[in-house]
Amino acid sequence: MARISRQEVEHVAALARLVLEESEAERAVGELEALLDYAALLESVDTEGVPPTSHVLALATPMRDDTASESLEPESALANAPEREGSAFVVPRVIDDEDAG
Amino acid sequence: MSAPPPLVGLSELRAELDAGRTSSAQLVDRALERAEALQPRLRSFIGLRGESARAEAEQADARRLRGDPRSALDGIPVAIKDNMVQRGEPTTCGSRILEGFVSPYSSTLVEKLEAAGAVIIGRTNMDEFAMGSSTEHSTLGASSNPWDVSRTAGGSSGGSAVAVAAGIVPAAFGSDTGGSIRQPASFCGVVGMKPTYGRVSRWGLVAFASSLDQIGVFARDARDAALLLELISGHDPRDSTSAPEPAPDLRASLDGDVSGLVLGVPREYFVSDGVDPEVLARVHAAIAELEAAGAKLREVSLPHTYTAVATYYLLATAEASSNLARYDGVRYGRRAEGAQSLGDMYVRSRTEGFGAEVKRRILLGTYVLSAGYYDAYYRKAQQVRTLLRRDFDEAFAGCDVIVTPTSPEVAFSLGSRTEDPLRMYLSDVYTVSCNLAGLPGVSLPCGFSDGMPVGLQLLGPPLEEGRLLRVADAFQRRTGFHSERPPELA
Amino acid sequence: MSEGHPRYDVVIGLEVHAQLCTESKLFSPAPVAYGEPANHCVHPICLGLPGVLPVLNARAVEFAILAGLATHCTVQLHSVFARKNYFYPDLPKGYQISQYEEPICTEGWIDVVVEPGAAPRRIRLTRIHMEEDAGKLIHEAGAAGSDGTRVDLNRAGVPLLEIVSEPDLRSPSEAAAYLRTLRGILRYIGVSDADLEKGHFRCDANVSLKPRGTAELGTRTELKNLNSFRFVEEAISAEIARQAELHDEGTPVQQATMAYDPHTSRTRVLRLKENADDYRYFPDPDLVPLAISAEQIETARASLPELADAKCARFQSQYALTAQDAEQLTESRPLADYFEAAVAAYGLAKPVANWLLRDVLQALGELELGIEAARLAPESLAALIRLVDAGSTNAKSARGLVKELVANGGDPAALVHERGLEALSDSGELEAAVEAVLGEHPDDAEKFRAGEKKVLNFLMGQVMRRTAGKADPKAVRELLARKLGA
Repeated sequence: MARISRQEVEHVAALARLVLEESEAERAVGELEALLDYAALLESVDTEGVPPTSHVLALATPMRDDTASESLEPESALANAPEREGSAFVVPRVIDDEDAG
Repeated sequence: MSAPPPLVGLSELRAELDAGRTSSAQLVDRALERAEALQPRLRSFIGLRGESARAEAEQADARRLRGDPRSALDGIPVAIKDNMVQRGEPTTCGSRILEGFVSPYSSTLVEKLEAAGAVIIGRTNMDEFAMGSSTEHSTLGASSNPWDVSRTAGGSSGGSAVAVAAGIVPAAFGSDTGGSIRQPASFCGVVGMKPTYGRVSRWGLVAFASSLDQIGVFARDARDAALLLELISGHDPRDSTSAPEPAPDLRASLDGDVSGLVLGVPREYFVSDGVDPEVLARVHAAIAELEAAGAKLREVSLPHTYTAVATYYLLATAEASSNLARYDGVRYGRRAEGAQSLGDMYVRSRTEGFGAEVKRRILLGTYVLSAGYYDAYYRKAQQVRTLLRRDFDEAFAGCDVIVTPTSPEVAFSLGSRTEDPLRMYLSDVYTVSCNLAGLPGVSLPCGFSDGMPVGLQLLGPPLEEGRLLRVADAFQRRTGFHSERPPELA
Repeated sequence: MSEGHPRYDVVIGLEVHAQLCTESKLFSPAPVAYGEPANHCVHPICLGLPGVLPVLNARAVEFAILAGLATHCTVQLHSVFARKNYFYPDLPKGYQISQYEEPICTEGWIDVVVEPGAAPRRIRLTRIHMEEDAGKLIHEAGAAGSDGTRVDLNRAGVPLLEIVSEPDLRSPSEAAAYLRTLRGILRYIGVSDADLEKGHFRCDANVSLKPRGTAELGTRTELKNLNSFRFVEEAISAEIARQAELHDEGTPVQQATMAYDPHTSRTRVLRLKENADDYRYFPDPDLVPLAISAEQIETARASLPELADAKCARFQSQYALTAQDAEQLTESRPLADYFEAAVAAYGLAKPVANWLLRDVLQALGELELGIEAARLAPESLAALIRLVDAGSTNAKSARGLVKELVANGGDPAALVHERGLEALSDSGELEAAVEAVLGEHPDDAEKFRAGEKKVLNFLMGQVMRRTAGKADPKAVRELLARKLGA
């Protein structure tokens, strides 16, 4: 049974901002299909009423006091920037609301 | 270049330093030279800190001569995996996407090592973003196993395992998300310990799967592992998942006495299916050795073991798909040249920057979290995770330590698995449950098969690292596997 | 007042993003500041550097609890931070830490007075959750003239409350009144400055129409980034008009994100929501669930100040103020506190209300200051009014000093003396001035005695002119009357 289609793989790739070449896309469909087929063994596990585990720790949320530290030196903050102008990072021009969340 | 002689265990080096027979500068020189000399054969380091390490060694020597060493590790050369950031140093995670990145801050691990006076000589090889079991998914190329350079060192912390196994450094640090310390330790014949989730701060550890990642140690024996783990453990307010526990006194538990301790032998881990019978034989022999030392054996059951690999890959890839979204070419790391638009820049930077395995896992993880599949895959896996934890709770009600093989096989040949990701994933069957349940686990050498080291895995209840190391140490007092050295490097 | 629509029922729900006034960010110790140069208020956490981890700001949680209590929400003992995954250059980690399935506050309400004196409308709140703000993109060409977009992460990680209303609002003016009330509450409890100009209080509106009296909801559109109360009203009015036209034509309304253009007073489609956004929310594995104790909630409840509506009612009954005065005085907590302090010092409410609402607020307006910045202490305002009462100076002179006192402070009596503004009521100088005026205008004095009483006003004006306005009008009138034998 096909668990995932070429179209779905491409949709997922787009969500993850990846592009797949023609040959890669076919291959990815096959690989994901195999992995999802394998993962389907979980379907047989009875999880009725079982709470999900997101964290193995039984901790209360740690919190910190609202005290501001010094800012990182702007030169350190910008040191790895692929492109910058003044103390701002620069990206290719963002068109009105492109890709916005 | 001929390699200088290997560096032995921590306690021996400490004794030589304290007796004035050597200096930190000499040890660090030796480590650096050996690393460089072996690099063409082993590829264990992604980057070395020659000059800074030598300068730090001289400062350590000055402290020692003043009679003011910072710790037992002062002046000792060590190595860290290339996913632990150090201020002013590159971190690449074995990925093109982090080419050229220099961290403006240090991880808690590095801060603790610096405070202890340890000299970090370099960053070790790893599978890209710690995703893999062989270091074959590294931009550097795969590390080779010192016992047979045609075979894998294991992964993802393969470079750290090799650095210790090959005697380049007496101690190295790695991270373990699904076995990434224990499996390469097993393949390379060294001790590799993954502590309880939350024991060691993750601040500054580049995330793969946040709820599973844990920093741990590689060492020649349980005693050294105990010392290292004491040094790097402890609560860190910068990590919300850090256990509110002080660093444990682990060396105190190394009394060699395992009499009366109940070793649980999970029947699901000792099925012959898919397991190298020689590996099983070595592990059985090791268990018999511990029984001879006074431990009691009890069969236990971990009935959901068959679900562990699937659960692990669904959860780990889901978290990874989100954790790796920050590599977008905006603030640091690789940005594709000549992008015409923002969308183009994102897609090309990420597509060019990530390797095939990382992309495969991002796709799977994105799919698992996407609308319409979340409940079927992600939520379901979280529920099964609960069942896996309960298995261990019930098992530990009847035993003190669980003993298993670390890997169903010894180190495989390089290149033999890269075409079949599922088969590669399935070889993690013995190690992933420990991460899903957040337990401490250690792998220690327990013999050889086909000339390659076999690892024995010990799993314990949360925060019981001391108990595991006590068993490991007792075993090593009675056996000599941990002292065996790769022949051509001896 | 912008009303709904004659033929359609208007259904409006609002989502407000209010910035919490903390010192540091929600998950990072970086300072929260406004107007700093780009990337000067950042920490490795704000940059989403490899290896960083979030740690929750305790004060932001306290503020969220207070906001929940002040809006009659249930504060949840257990809530969860989730990652909302999407790519945008202002979002450094590629996800926003927010709350999704399990927010900190649920199911509340606030009472909104749409027209003064009318019964309030109860607007239900769906939820309040905590989340981190994104950075800022600067599209205008920079000094160096590059045509790229600049990214400033100073704001990235600043704590926000997202406050979501039920679709209970029926007109643009109700929406604006709801926002004013909500802003007032957040300011009252001191959790947000809610300064619209600084983007502390941002609003998105969901708008749909349905034919009057029918039950079925129409397709809704979302108006983004309405950054002033006026724009909220205008934008919703424009969107109602647009949708009504579509309904009239029988053209279906498409689900879309809209923007409002104040120049054309029209809304336009930013993007259609054909492909539902897939944010892949999941619990943030770097943060354990947020646990709040019942004691913590009770402590917060006890610390909750009297809110505007309760204070307004009390001012009317306790101080016998008109509804209008009371509403104005309780608009902000510092003003209400100032009023009560001044009343305590003076003894009577009405004169204080008059002076405060008329003279002090006018002076503050001219000086572009808030009441917190007034250097005229409430006790000094009381003292100034008493100087007038005692006839030590006249009301006009006193009013003339308010702006100066508000700007510079100082002792009102000393200032009256320094300016020579003492009333002449008791001095011989006043009597001399009256005599002189009567001497200069014997005809008018005669007219008065003959019964032309309004001549008195002319004579008073002459005396006031002669005394350069320093005389107490009451005293002048009395003295004139006596001299004229009235």
